[in-house]
Amino acid sequence: MIRGLYSAASGLISQQRRHDTITNNIANFETVGYKQKTTPLRSFNEMLLQYTEPGTNNTNKIGTWTGNVFAEESVTLFNQGDLYQTNRNGDFALMSNIQLPGMRFDSNGKYVNENGEVTYQPQAYFTVLTNDGEVQYSRSGQFATNMNGELITNTGLRVLGSNGEPIVLPAGVSIDELTLGGNGNLYRADGTDTGIGFYISRVENPNMLVQVGNGNFKLAEGEQVQQMAPGDEVAIMQQYLERSNVDYLQSQVELMAAARAYETNAQIVKIYDQTLNKAVNDIGKVQ
Amino acid sequence: MNSSLIIAMNSMSAYQNKIDTIADNTANVDTVGYKRKIASFSDLLNNTTSQPEDFYKDGRLTPLGFTQGWGARIASILTDFEQGALQATDVSTDFAIEGRALFEVIADNEGTVAYTRDGSFQISMNAQGEAVLTTSQGMPVRATLEDGSQGSIVIPNGYAIQVGIDGTVRATNGEETLNLGQINLISPVRPDMMTQVADNLFAVADGINAQDVVQRVFAGENGITIRQGYLEKSNVDLTTELTDLVRAQRAYQLAARALSSTDTLMQISNNLRG
Repeated sequence: MIRGLYSAASGLISQQRRHDTITNNIANFETVGYKQKTTPLRSFNEMLLQYTEPGTNNTNKIGTWTGNVFAEESVTLFNQGDLYQTNRNGDFALMSNIQLPGMRFDSNGKYVNENGEVTYQPQAYFTVLTNDGEVQYSRSGQFATNMNGELITNTGLRVLGSNGEPIVLPAGVSIDELTLGGNGNLYRADGTDTGIGFYISRVENPNMLVQVGNGNFKLAEGEQVQQMAPGDEVAIMQQYLERSNVDYLQSQVELMAAARAYETNAQIVKIYDQTLNKAVNDIGKVQ
Repeated sequence: MNSSLIIAMNSMSAYQNKIDTIADNTANVDTVGYKRKIASFSDLLNNTTSQPEDFYKDGRLTPLGFTQGWGARIASILTDFEQGALQATDVSTDFAIEGRALFEVIADNEGTVAYTRDGSFQISMNAQGEAVLTTSQGMPVRATLEDGSQGSIVIPNGYAIQVGIDGTVRATNGEETLNLGQINLISPVRPDMMTQVADNLFAVADGINAQDVVQRVFAGENGITIRQGYLEKSNVDLTTELTDLVRAQRAYQLAARALSSTDTLMQISNNLRG
């Protein structure tokens, strides 16, 4: 009987995790290029319960039981956020809709073939260099320049150019004078090509990206990433930013659902408590 | 449980900052030469709770570990140097810059240089009793004088000033015309390294080499002109600000709701044994 008490407790913990994730999505409603996360819950492995008759070795199968639940992982939804115009030359948005031959991705970037195999749509990212020299990926394109003329993200990390080195603007030239040309390079006002372009990374399976904060993702080791090739359906838009893809309504509903599910689990704990109370204090009580 | 609480708290203070920035912009909608500020958000560091190898089960999409973010913060406040609209005033000491440049002014007695787009100048008396071209707060406007030195423009008694589109200042009393010099202009090469300080001024923070951040430019080139008798209005667009306000307020509201929901959860768990 006590088993159920622990099931309810695991429910409380899992709903709590869900609640945390949704709160974090809400917190990043205004964060440029943020991708919302969900927390799928999973039941524990099934187990077979048996009953041994007292005084014998005879066992009887009672049945299966999957007692507890846990928050398994934190899955990021990679669908495109809305673009909005800012009229600021340091703002860049990525529109990524990379296609693979013979596959038709749904709006969540997923394709299931007739054998049930799932393929996820590759996604494009700006490539940034952390201060430790680690390469990370980002959709947050609100860039600024530092004293050395390096292009930096809003958290101060350097942005990599198409040659794989951090982008350094020519001395005396501000980002406000540069416009993005059709070939992905930045052009000066007089039409000369600066030869500076972005290193856009194409991540084959974006689920292998882990959010690390500061608008960045880190790719799990051994995963495929390559520089965007011509013909990939990726557009860089200057003077635009990508909003977070957090759904206001969905967040609110999920928040309520998580809170209510938490409440229900708490009720179950209480009921067990009452039952135990009866068992401990009332059974065999002499009036 | 505490994490929801902390996330909601972090994000509410970030949204509050965003609303403050919007309020700052809307308050300065009529400030001459004001440049709007943009609050830029970033998500806070995530931590990953490690999971043992057994957690790798069929259908799992992500690498091992459960990541949890801690909300958002304002990562930086950017200044939007977009051109504001010009307004004719017909006042001879009103100036507006068209193009990417700022006036140089002397902000204090030690000769600290600051920069402004606010061209609502006036003629003030300095300590030596000379009539000097200053900002509306009385800071002398820096110019290259006729002899090539840097200083403020002194207007002889009885003369009126005329400023050409290239920033050259002449004084005339109807009979003769004197060349007084050229108003200094600088272009913000690394605009993000400039800080907005009080009195509508921009300054280069201590420890940063000003030559890297700003560059001398001349009116009449690179599409920069000075217009006498005009003022540049702020580049704040009320429609944009109010739309941003609606979004920020709704986001704040949602975060507050998450906070109260967390509170409910805590109350429930407190009453488990009740």
